[in-house]
Amino acid sequence: MRPGAESATARRAVWRPVLNAVSRYWTVVALIAAWALWIRVENLNQIVAPTPAAVFGDVLGHPTVYAADLGWTLLNACAGLILGMALGAGSAVAVWASPVLSGLMTPMALIMRSVPVVAMIPVIAQVAGFGNTAVLAVTVVVSFFPAFVMAGSGLRSAPAATSDLFTVLHASRPTRLRLLLLPNAAGALLVALRLTAPTTVLAAMLAEYLLGTHGLGKLFADSVTFMDTARAWGTALVATVVSVGCFIAARAAERHGTARFS
Amino acid sequence: MSARARHRTLTAAGVVLLLALMEAIGRVGLFGSSWPPLTEVVSYVAEPVTGDLLGRALAATAGAAGTGFALGSAVAVVVAALGVLLPVVQPGLDRLAAVVNAIPLIALGPLLITTVGREGTPTVIAALAAGFAMFIAATSGLAAASTPHHDVFSALGASRRTRLLRLQLPAAVPLLLDGLTLAAPAAVLGAVIGEWFGAPRGLGILLVSSMQNFQIELLWAAALTSALVSLAAYLVLTGLRSLATGRFL
Repeated sequence: MRPGAESATARRAVWRPVLNAVSRYWTVVALIAAWALWIRVENLNQIVAPTPAAVFGDVLGHPTVYAADLGWTLLNACAGLILGMALGAGSAVAVWASPVLSGLMTPMALIMRSVPVVAMIPVIAQVAGFGNTAVLAVTVVVSFFPAFVMAGSGLRSAPAATSDLFTVLHASRPTRLRLLLLPNAAGALLVALRLTAPTTVLAAMLAEYLLGTHGLGKLFADSVTFMDTARAWGTALVATVVSVGCFIAARAAERHGTARFS
Repeated sequence: MSARARHRTLTAAGVVLLLALMEAIGRVGLFGSSWPPLTEVVSYVAEPVTGDLLGRALAATAGAAGTGFALGSAVAVVVAALGVLLPVVQPGLDRLAAVVNAIPLIALGPLLITTVGREGTPTVIAALAAGFAMFIAATSGLAAASTPHHDVFSALGASRRTRLLRLQLPAAVPLLLDGLTLAAPAAVLGAVIGEWFGAPRGLGILLVSSMQNFQIELLWAAALTSALVSLAAYLVLTGLRSLATGRFL
Protein backbone atom coordinates (compact mmCIF):
# COMPACT_ATOMS: atom_id res chain seq x y z
CA MET A 1 0.00 0.00 0.00
CA ARG A 2 1.25 3.45 -0.83
CA PRO A 3 2.00 5.58 2.23
CA GLY A 4 -0.65 8.18 1.23
CA ALA A 5 -3.48 5.63 0.89
CA GLU A 6 -3.60 4.81 4.57
CA SER A 7 -3.90 8.42 5.67
CA ALA A 8 -6.56 9.01 2.99
CA THR A 9 -8.62 6.12 4.43
CA ALA A 10 -8.18 7.57 7.90
CA ARG A 11 -9.25 10.98 6.66
CA ARG A 12 -12.35 9.46 5.07
CA ALA A 13 -13.17 7.69 8.38
CA VAL A 14 -13.02 11.05 10.13
CA TRP A 15 -15.19 12.79 7.52
CA ARG A 16 -17.80 10.01 7.18
CA PRO A 17 -19.79 10.90 10.38
CA VAL A 18 -19.64 14.60 9.52
CA LEU A 19 -20.97 13.95 6.01
CA ASN A 20 -23.68 11.69 7.42
CA ALA A 21 -24.78 14.38 9.84
CA VAL A 22 -24.81 16.99 7.07
CA SER A 23 -26.87 14.80 4.74
CA ARG A 24 -29.40 14.16 7.50
CA TYR A 25 -29.71 17.53 9.15
CA TRP A 26 -29.13 20.09 6.39
CA THR A 27 -32.90 20.57 6.07
CA VAL A 28 -33.26 21.30 9.80
CA VAL A 29 -30.41 23.81 9.58
CA ALA A 30 -32.01 25.29 6.44
CA LEU A 31 -35.30 25.63 8.33
CA ILE A 32 -33.62 27.62 11.12
CA ALA A 33 -31.72 29.73 8.58
CA ALA A 34 -34.98 30.47 6.74
CA TRP A 35 -36.55 31.51 10.04
CA ALA A 36 -33.68 33.96 10.76
CA LEU A 37 -33.79 35.29 7.19
CA TRP A 38 -37.58 35.76 7.33
CA ILE A 39 -37.27 37.94 10.42
CA ARG A 40 -34.41 39.95 8.89
CA VAL A 41 -36.18 40.50 5.56
CA GLU A 42 -39.62 41.30 6.96
CA ASN A 43 -37.94 43.37 9.70
CA LEU A 44 -40.25 41.81 12.30
CA ASN A 45 -40.57 43.05 15.86
CA GLN A 46 -39.50 40.72 18.71
CA ILE A 47 -43.13 40.71 19.90
CA VAL A 48 -44.35 39.29 16.58
CA ALA A 49 -41.61 36.71 16.09
CA PRO A 50 -38.28 36.26 17.91
CA THR A 51 -34.97 35.49 16.22
CA PRO A 52 -33.53 31.97 16.58
CA ALA A 53 -30.73 33.47 18.72
CA ALA A 54 -33.24 35.01 21.15
CA VAL A 55 -35.12 31.72 21.49
CA PHE A 56 -32.03 29.55 22.00
CA GLY A 57 -30.67 32.20 24.37
CA ASP A 58 -33.84 32.20 26.47
CA VAL A 59 -33.83 28.40 26.79
CA LEU A 60 -30.13 28.20 27.66
CA GLY A 61 -30.28 31.27 29.92
CA HIS A 62 -33.22 30.15 32.08
CA PRO A 63 -32.93 26.37 32.36
CA THR A 64 -34.66 26.25 35.78
CA VAL A 65 -37.84 27.98 34.49
CA TYR A 66 -38.20 25.39 31.76
CA ALA A 67 -37.10 22.42 33.86
CA ALA A 68 -39.87 22.78 36.47
CA ASP A 69 -42.66 22.91 33.89
CA LEU A 70 -41.03 20.25 31.75
CA GLY A 71 -41.02 18.02 34.85
CA TRP A 72 -44.79 18.46 35.24
CA THR A 73 -45.46 17.68 31.60
CA LEU A 74 -43.24 14.60 31.65
CA LEU A 75 -44.82 13.45 34.92
CA ASN A 76 -48.32 13.82 33.45
CA ALA A 77 -47.28 12.09 30.25
CA CYS A 78 -45.42 9.20 31.95
CA ALA A 79 -48.10 8.55 34.59
CA GLY A 80 -50.79 8.64 31.91
CA LEU A 81 -48.77 6.40 29.62
CA ILE A 82 -48.18 3.79 32.32
CA LEU A 83 -51.77 3.82 33.59
CA GLY A 84 -53.30 3.91 30.11
CA MET A 85 -51.11 1.15 28.70
CA ALA A 86 -51.62 -1.03 31.78
CA LEU A 87 -55.39 -0.56 31.53
CA GLY A 88 -55.30 -1.20 27.79
CA ALA A 89 -53.18 -4.36 28.06
CA GLY A 90 -55.23 -5.58 31.04
CA SER A 91 -58.49 -5.10 29.17
CA ALA A 92 -57.04 -6.89 26.14
CA VAL A 93 -56.17 -9.92 28.32
CA ALA A 94 -59.61 -9.81 29.97
CA VAL A 95 -61.30 -9.79 26.58
CA TRP A 96 -59.00 -12.44 25.05
CA ALA A 97 -60.61 -15.34 26.93
CA SER A 98 -63.94 -14.84 25.16
CA PRO A 99 -64.43 -14.63 21.37
CA VAL A 100 -67.80 -12.97 21.94
CA LEU A 101 -66.25 -10.21 24.04
CA SER A 102 -63.43 -9.68 21.51
CA GLY A 103 -66.03 -9.35 18.76
CA LEU A 104 -67.95 -6.84 20.82
CA MET A 105 -64.76 -4.83 21.26
CA THR A 106 -64.00 -4.50 17.51
CA PRO A 107 -65.41 -0.94 17.43
CA MET A 108 -62.55 0.00 19.79
CA ALA A 109 -60.08 -0.61 16.96
CA LEU A 110 -62.18 1.58 14.70
CA ILE A 111 -62.23 4.33 17.33
CA MET A 112 -58.45 4.16 17.69
CA ARG A 113 -57.89 4.51 13.94
CA SER A 114 -60.48 7.13 13.15
CA VAL A 115 -61.59 9.27 16.08
CA PRO A 116 -59.33 12.23 16.92
CA VAL A 117 -59.04 11.51 20.66
CA VAL A 118 -56.82 14.55 21.25
CA ALA A 119 -59.62 16.80 19.93
CA MET A 120 -61.85 15.38 22.68
CA ILE A 121 -59.79 17.09 25.42
CA PRO A 122 -62.59 19.58 26.24
CA VAL A 123 -65.04 16.70 26.80
CA ILE A 124 -62.61 14.68 28.90
CA ALA A 125 -61.83 17.80 30.95
CA GLN A 126 -65.52 18.43 31.51
CA VAL A 127 -66.07 14.85 32.72
CA ALA A 128 -62.87 14.56 34.79
CA GLY A 129 -63.34 17.96 36.44
CA PHE A 130 -60.61 20.26 35.04
CA GLY A 131 -57.46 20.58 37.21
CA ASN A 132 -54.47 18.27 36.95
CA THR A 133 -56.65 15.12 37.23
CA ALA A 134 -58.18 16.09 33.90
CA VAL A 135 -54.73 16.35 32.29
CA LEU A 136 -53.92 12.90 33.65
CA ALA A 137 -57.27 11.56 32.40
CA VAL A 138 -56.48 12.91 28.92
CA THR A 139 -53.09 11.15 28.80
CA VAL A 140 -54.65 7.91 30.11
CA VAL A 141 -57.37 7.94 27.45
CA VAL A 142 -54.88 8.78 24.68
CA SER A 143 -52.60 5.86 25.59
CA PHE A 144 -55.41 3.38 26.34
CA PHE A 145 -56.72 2.76 22.80
CA PRO A 146 -53.46 1.88 21.01
CA ALA A 147 -52.37 -0.40 23.89
CA PHE A 148 -55.73 -2.18 23.94
CA VAL A 149 -55.85 -2.69 20.16
CA MET A 150 -52.19 -3.64 19.68
CA ALA A 151 -52.07 -5.99 22.70
CA GLY A 152 -55.29 -7.61 21.51
CA SER A 153 -53.89 -8.30 18.04
CA GLY A 154 -50.63 -9.49 19.64
CA LEU A 155 -52.55 -12.01 21.76
CA ARG A 156 -54.37 -13.33 18.70
CA SER A 157 -51.32 -13.63 16.44
CA ALA A 158 -49.25 -16.29 18.24
CA PRO A 159 -47.32 -18.52 15.81
CA ALA A 160 -49.55 -21.47 14.81
CA ALA A 161 -46.84 -24.12 15.28
CA THR A 162 -46.03 -23.07 18.85
CA SER A 163 -49.72 -22.79 19.56
CA ASP A 164 -50.19 -26.41 18.35
CA LEU A 165 -47.39 -27.53 20.66
CA PHE A 166 -49.21 -26.05 23.64
CA THR A 167 -52.40 -27.82 22.54
CA VAL A 168 -50.62 -31.17 22.18
CA LEU A 169 -49.12 -30.78 25.66
CA HIS A 170 -52.57 -29.98 27.10
CA ALA A 171 -51.42 -26.63 28.45
CA SER A 172 -54.03 -24.88 30.56
CA ARG A 173 -55.30 -21.50 29.40
CA PRO A 174 -53.36 -19.54 32.09
CA THR A 175 -50.13 -21.38 31.18
CA ARG A 176 -50.72 -20.68 27.50
CA LEU A 177 -51.34 -17.03 28.31
CA ARG A 178 -48.25 -16.71 30.47
CA LEU A 179 -45.73 -18.66 28.40
CA LEU A 180 -46.92 -18.09 24.85
CA LEU A 181 -49.32 -15.22 24.38
CA LEU A 182 -47.98 -12.57 26.74
CA PRO A 183 -44.40 -12.74 25.41
CA ASN A 184 -45.93 -12.57 21.93
CA ALA A 185 -48.04 -9.55 22.85
CA ALA A 186 -45.07 -7.76 24.45
CA GLY A 187 -43.69 -6.88 21.01
CA ALA A 188 -47.04 -5.47 19.91
CA LEU A 189 -47.25 -3.47 23.14
CA LEU A 190 -43.84 -1.94 22.42
CA VAL A 191 -45.12 -0.86 19.00
CA ALA A 192 -48.04 0.77 20.83
CA LEU A 193 -45.52 2.53 23.09
CA ARG A 194 -43.65 3.95 20.09
CA LEU A 195 -46.91 5.13 18.53
CA THR A 196 -48.22 6.65 21.75
CA ALA A 197 -45.25 8.18 23.58
CA PRO A 198 -44.88 11.37 21.45
CA THR A 199 -48.69 11.75 21.18
CA THR A 200 -49.05 11.53 24.97
CA VAL A 201 -46.54 14.35 25.51
CA LEU A 202 -48.40 16.42 22.92
CA ALA A 203 -51.77 15.63 24.50
CA ALA A 204 -50.46 16.54 27.96
CA MET A 205 -49.25 19.91 26.64
CA LEU A 206 -52.52 20.63 24.85
CA ALA A 207 -54.52 19.78 27.96
CA GLU A 208 -52.26 21.96 30.13
CA TYR A 209 -52.60 24.79 27.63
CA LEU A 210 -56.38 24.56 27.56
CA LEU A 211 -56.95 23.96 31.27
CA GLY A 212 -54.14 26.15 32.60
CA THR A 213 -52.79 23.78 35.27
CA HIS A 214 -49.02 23.22 35.43
CA GLY A 215 -46.46 22.27 32.84
CA LEU A 216 -45.09 23.35 29.45
CA GLY A 217 -48.57 23.98 28.04
CA LYS A 218 -49.29 26.44 30.86
CA LEU A 219 -45.88 28.08 30.47
CA PHE A 220 -46.66 28.53 26.79
CA ALA A 221 -50.12 29.98 27.48
CA ASP A 222 -48.66 32.44 30.03
CA SER A 223 -45.86 33.52 27.69
CA VAL A 224 -48.38 34.19 24.91
CA THR A 225 -50.55 36.22 27.30
CA PHE A 226 -47.60 38.34 28.44
CA MET A 227 -46.27 38.69 24.86
CA ASP A 228 -43.00 37.02 25.85
CA THR A 229 -42.60 35.48 22.40
CA ALA A 230 -39.02 34.32 22.95
CA ARG A 231 -40.21 32.22 25.90
CA ALA A 232 -43.27 30.97 23.99
CA TRP A 233 -41.12 29.79 21.09
CA GLY A 234 -38.58 28.44 23.58
CA THR A 235 -41.34 26.29 25.07
CA ALA A 236 -42.13 25.04 21.59
CA LEU A 237 -38.45 24.27 21.02
CA VAL A 238 -38.17 22.34 24.31
CA ALA A 239 -41.38 20.43 23.53
CA THR A 240 -40.13 19.53 20.06
CA VAL A 241 -36.84 18.24 21.41
CA VAL A 242 -38.65 16.25 24.14
CA SER A 243 -41.11 14.80 21.63
CA VAL A 244 -38.27 13.68 19.34
CA GLY A 245 -36.45 12.29 22.39
CA CYS A 246 -39.53 10.30 23.46
CA PHE A 247 -39.85 8.86 19.98
CA ILE A 248 -36.18 7.85 19.87
CA ALA A 249 -36.36 6.31 23.37
CA ALA A 250 -39.53 4.38 22.52
CA ARG A 251 -38.01 3.17 19.26
CA ALA A 252 -34.89 2.00 21.11
CA ALA A 253 -37.14 0.18 23.63
CA GLU A 254 -39.01 -1.43 20.75
CA ARG A 255 -35.81 -2.63 19.03
CA HIS A 256 -34.39 -3.91 22.30
CA GLY A 257 -37.68 -5.64 23.16
CA THR A 258 -38.14 -7.16 19.72
CA ALA A 259 -34.68 -8.69 19.98
CA ARG A 260 -35.54 -9.97 23.46
CA PHE A 261 -39.01 -11.39 22.78
CA SER A 262 -38.77 -12.82 19.26
CA MET B 1 -73.56 -18.76 10.55
CA SER B 2 -70.21 -18.20 8.86
CA ALA B 3 -67.31 -16.79 10.88
CA ARG B 4 -67.47 -13.57 8.86
CA ALA B 5 -71.18 -13.02 9.43
CA ARG B 6 -70.72 -13.85 13.10
CA HIS B 7 -67.92 -11.29 13.36
CA ARG B 8 -70.12 -8.70 11.67
CA THR B 9 -73.03 -9.36 14.03
CA LEU B 10 -70.72 -9.08 17.04
CA THR B 11 -69.22 -5.82 15.75
CA ALA B 12 -72.70 -4.36 15.23
CA ALA B 13 -73.66 -5.54 18.71
CA GLY B 14 -70.50 -3.91 20.04
CA VAL B 15 -71.46 -0.56 18.49
CA VAL B 16 -74.97 -0.81 19.94
CA LEU B 17 -73.52 -1.76 23.33
CA LEU B 18 -71.13 1.20 23.26
CA LEU B 19 -73.96 3.63 22.46
CA ALA B 20 -76.17 2.03 25.13
CA LEU B 21 -73.34 2.38 27.66
CA MET B 22 -72.95 6.07 26.84
CA GLU B 23 -76.72 6.51 27.29
CA ALA B 24 -76.75 4.54 30.55
CA ILE B 25 -73.86 6.51 32.10
CA GLY B 26 -75.78 9.71 31.35
CA ARG B 27 -79.09 8.35 32.67
CA VAL B 28 -77.56 7.08 35.93
CA GLY B 29 -75.62 10.32 36.31
CA LEU B 30 -72.29 8.63 36.97
CA PHE B 31 -70.39 11.83 36.11
CA GLY B 32 -73.10 14.25 37.20
CA SER B 33 -74.34 16.74 34.64
CA SER B 34 -71.11 16.69 32.62
CA TRP B 35 -72.07 13.42 30.86
CA PRO B 36 -75.58 13.83 29.41
CA PRO B 37 -77.51 10.84 28.01
CA LEU B 38 -76.88 10.33 24.29
CA THR B 39 -80.56 10.73 23.39
CA GLU B 40 -80.57 14.18 24.99
CA VAL B 41 -77.59 15.25 22.88
CA VAL B 42 -79.27 13.92 19.74
CA SER B 43 -82.56 15.71 20.44
CA TYR B 44 -80.52 18.85 21.16
CA VAL B 45 -78.87 18.58 17.75
CA ALA B 46 -82.29 18.04 16.13
CA GLU B 47 -83.43 21.51 17.24
CA PRO B 48 -83.27 23.83 14.21
CA VAL B 49 -81.15 26.52 15.93
CA THR B 50 -78.40 24.16 17.10
CA GLY B 51 -78.65 22.17 13.89
CA ASP B 52 -77.87 25.39 12.01
CA LEU B 53 -75.01 26.31 14.32
CA LEU B 54 -73.44 22.85 14.07
CA GLY B 55 -74.02 22.75 10.32
CA ARG B 56 -72.10 25.98 9.78
CA ALA B 57 -69.29 24.88 12.11
CA LEU B 58 -69.16 21.50 10.37
CA ALA B 59 -68.94 23.12 6.94
CA ALA B 60 -66.01 25.28 8.09
CA THR B 61 -64.13 22.39 9.70
CA ALA B 62 -64.82 19.96 6.87
CA GLY B 63 -63.66 22.59 4.37
CA ALA B 64 -60.41 23.23 6.24
CA ALA B 65 -59.80 19.51 6.81
CA GLY B 66 -60.60 18.63 3.19
CA THR B 67 -58.40 21.35 1.71
CA GLY B 68 -55.61 20.51 4.14
CA PHE B 69 -55.95 16.80 3.38
CA ALA B 70 -55.70 17.32 -0.40
CA LEU B 71 -52.89 19.87 -0.13
CA GLY B 72 -50.86 17.96 2.47
CA SER B 73 -51.19 14.61 0.68
CA ALA B 74 -50.25 16.06 -2.70
CA VAL B 75 -47.20 17.93 -1.36
CA ALA B 76 -46.10 14.86 0.64
CA VAL B 77 -46.20 12.59 -2.43
CA VAL B 78 -44.35 15.18 -4.55
CA VAL B 79 -41.66 15.62 -1.87
CA ALA B 80 -41.29 11.84 -1.47
CA ALA B 81 -40.95 11.51 -5.27
CA LEU B 82 -38.34 14.28 -5.21
CA GLY B 83 -36.41 12.18 -2.70
CA VAL B 84 -36.42 9.32 -5.23
CA LEU B 85 -35.33 11.49 -8.16
CA LEU B 86 -32.57 13.20 -6.13
CA PRO B 87 -31.33 10.55 -3.65
CA VAL B 88 -28.86 13.08 -2.17
CA VAL B 89 -31.64 15.04 -0.47
CA GLN B 90 -33.59 12.04 0.85
CA PRO B 91 -32.09 11.67 4.37
CA GLY B 92 -32.50 15.40 4.96
CA LEU B 93 -36.15 15.27 3.89
CA ASP B 94 -36.82 12.34 6.25
CA ARG B 95 -35.38 14.27 9.20
CA LEU B 96 -37.24 17.44 8.27
CA ALA B 97 -40.55 15.55 8.20
CA ALA B 98 -39.83 13.99 11.61
CA VAL B 99 -38.87 17.33 13.18
CA VAL B 100 -41.81 19.25 11.69
CA ASN B 101 -44.13 16.49 12.93
CA ALA B 102 -42.61 16.74 16.41
CA ILE B 103 -43.27 20.49 16.72
CA PRO B 104 -46.24 20.54 19.11
CA LEU B 105 -49.48 21.73 17.52
CA ILE B 106 -50.04 24.35 20.21
CA ALA B 107 -46.72 25.91 19.31
CA LEU B 108 -47.62 25.99 15.62
CA GLY B 109 -50.92 27.76 16.33
CA PRO B 110 -49.62 31.19 17.35
CA LEU B 111 -46.79 30.95 14.80
CA LEU B 112 -49.27 30.30 11.99
CA ILE B 113 -51.64 33.03 13.16
CA THR B 114 -48.84 35.57 12.66
CA THR B 115 -47.97 34.13 9.24
CA VAL B 116 -51.13 32.82 7.53
CA GLY B 117 -53.81 34.43 9.72
CA ARG B 118 -56.68 33.03 11.77
CA GLU B 119 -58.66 31.86 8.74
CA GLY B 120 -55.83 29.85 7.23
CA THR B 121 -54.41 28.26 10.38
CA PRO B 122 -56.77 25.22 10.56
CA THR B 123 -56.09 24.38 6.91
CA VAL B 124 -52.32 24.60 7.30
CA ILE B 125 -52.27 22.48 10.49
CA ALA B 126 -54.55 19.92 8.79
CA ALA B 127 -52.18 19.89 5.80
CA LEU B 128 -49.14 19.36 8.04
CA ALA B 129 -50.82 16.53 9.99
CA ALA B 130 -52.10 14.76 6.86
CA GLY B 131 -48.87 15.45 5.00
CA PHE B 132 -46.71 13.70 7.58
CA ALA B 133 -48.86 10.53 7.52
CA MET B 134 -48.77 10.61 3.73
CA PHE B 135 -45.02 11.27 3.55
CA ILE B 136 -44.27 8.19 5.67
CA ALA B 137 -46.61 6.08 3.53
CA ALA B 138 -45.16 7.47 0.30
CA THR B 139 -41.50 6.92 1.21
CA SER B 140 -42.13 3.30 2.18
CA GLY B 141 -44.48 2.87 -0.80
CA LEU B 142 -41.88 4.12 -3.29
CA ALA B 143 -39.40 1.63 -1.81
CA ALA B 144 -41.91 -1.25 -2.08
CA ALA B 145 -41.13 -2.41 -5.65
CA SER B 146 -39.35 -5.79 -5.69
CA THR B 147 -35.66 -6.18 -6.52
CA PRO B 148 -36.28 -8.31 -9.67
CA HIS B 149 -38.47 -5.55 -11.07
CA HIS B 150 -35.75 -3.00 -10.32
CA ASP B 151 -33.21 -5.29 -12.01
CA VAL B 152 -35.32 -5.35 -15.19
CA PHE B 153 -35.41 -1.56 -15.26
CA SER B 154 -31.64 -1.38 -14.63
CA ALA B 155 -30.92 -3.93 -17.36
CA LEU B 156 -33.01 -1.91 -19.83
CA GLY B 157 -31.18 1.26 -18.82
CA ALA B 158 -34.29 3.07 -17.59
CA SER B 159 -33.88 6.62 -16.31
CA ARG B 160 -34.83 7.50 -12.72
CA ARG B 161 -37.93 9.29 -14.03
CA THR B 162 -39.13 6.29 -16.06
CA ARG B 163 -38.44 4.01 -13.13
CA LEU B 164 -40.45 6.30 -10.83
CA LEU B 165 -43.43 6.63 -13.18
CA ARG B 166 -43.59 3.07 -14.53
CA LEU B 167 -42.47 1.02 -11.54
CA GLN B 168 -42.27 2.79 -8.19
CA LEU B 169 -45.49 4.83 -8.31
CA PRO B 170 -47.73 1.91 -9.41
CA ALA B 171 -46.08 -0.31 -6.77
CA ALA B 172 -46.70 2.36 -4.14
CA VAL B 173 -50.47 2.59 -4.70
CA PRO B 174 -51.57 0.14 -1.94
CA LEU B 175 -49.38 1.84 0.66
CA LEU B 176 -50.44 5.29 -0.57
CA LEU B 177 -54.07 4.29 -0.02
CA ASP B 178 -53.16 3.05 3.47
CA GLY B 179 -51.55 6.42 4.08
CA LEU B 180 -54.72 8.21 2.94
CA THR B 181 -56.82 6.30 5.49
CA LEU B 182 -54.41 7.49 8.20
CA ALA B 183 -54.15 11.02 6.82
CA ALA B 184 -57.91 11.69 6.79
CA PRO B 185 -58.46 11.47 10.59
CA ALA B 186 -55.17 13.34 11.07
CA ALA B 187 -56.48 16.17 8.87
CA VAL B 188 -59.73 16.40 10.87
CA LEU B 189 -57.73 16.50 14.12
CA GLY B 190 -55.42 19.16 12.69
CA ALA B 191 -58.33 21.32 11.55
CA VAL B 192 -60.13 21.06 14.92
CA ILE B 193 -56.99 21.93 16.89
CA GLY B 194 -56.12 24.71 14.47
CA GLU B 195 -59.49 26.25 15.26
CA TRP B 196 -58.74 26.27 18.99
CA PHE B 197 -56.46 29.25 18.40
CA GLY B 198 -59.26 31.60 17.55
CA ALA B 199 -60.53 30.69 14.09
CA PRO B 200 -63.70 32.66 13.30
CA ARG B 201 -65.88 29.52 13.12
CA GLY B 202 -65.66 25.73 13.22
CA LEU B 203 -66.15 22.70 15.44
CA GLY B 204 -62.89 23.35 17.32
CA ILE B 205 -63.91 26.82 18.45
CA LEU B 206 -67.35 25.43 19.37
CA LEU B 207 -65.67 22.73 21.51
CA VAL B 208 -63.53 25.23 23.43
CA SER B 209 -66.17 27.93 23.92
CA SER B 210 -68.86 25.46 25.02
CA MET B 211 -66.37 23.97 27.51
CA GLN B 212 -65.59 27.40 28.92
CA ASN B 213 -69.29 28.34 29.17
CA PHE B 214 -70.44 24.96 30.55
CA GLN B 215 -72.80 24.38 27.61
CA ILE B 216 -72.52 20.66 28.09
CA GLU B 217 -74.97 19.52 25.44
CA LEU B 218 -73.33 21.74 22.82
CA LEU B 219 -69.91 20.42 23.89
CA TRP B 220 -71.00 16.82 23.40
CA ALA B 221 -72.80 17.62 20.17
CA ALA B 222 -69.65 19.26 18.74
CA ALA B 223 -67.44 16.40 19.93
CA LEU B 224 -69.70 13.71 18.47
CA THR B 225 -69.97 15.63 15.19
CA SER B 226 -66.20 15.85 14.81
CA ALA B 227 -65.86 12.15 15.70
CA LEU B 228 -68.49 11.26 13.07
CA VAL B 229 -66.81 13.38 10.35
CA SER B 230 -63.53 11.68 11.05
CA LEU B 231 -65.15 8.23 11.10
CA ALA B 232 -66.98 8.92 7.83
CA ALA B 233 -63.77 10.06 6.10
CA TYR B 234 -61.97 6.97 7.38
CA LEU B 235 -64.71 4.57 6.26
CA VAL B 236 -64.96 6.13 2.76
CA LEU B 237 -61.19 5.82 2.26
CA THR B 238 -61.12 2.27 3.64
CA GLY B 239 -63.84 1.37 1.13
CA LEU B 240 -61.85 3.01 -1.66
CA ARG B 241 -58.77 1.06 -0.62
CA SER B 242 -60.52 -2.30 -0.67
CA LEU B 243 -61.89 -1.46 -4.15
CA ALA B 244 -58.39 -0.60 -5.38
CA THR B 245 -56.39 -3.41 -3.77
CA GLY B 246 -57.86 -5.93 -6.23
CA ARG B 247 -56.46 -3.88 -9.09
CA PHE B 248 -52.97 -3.17 -7.75
CA LEU B 249 -51.98 -6.23 -5.67
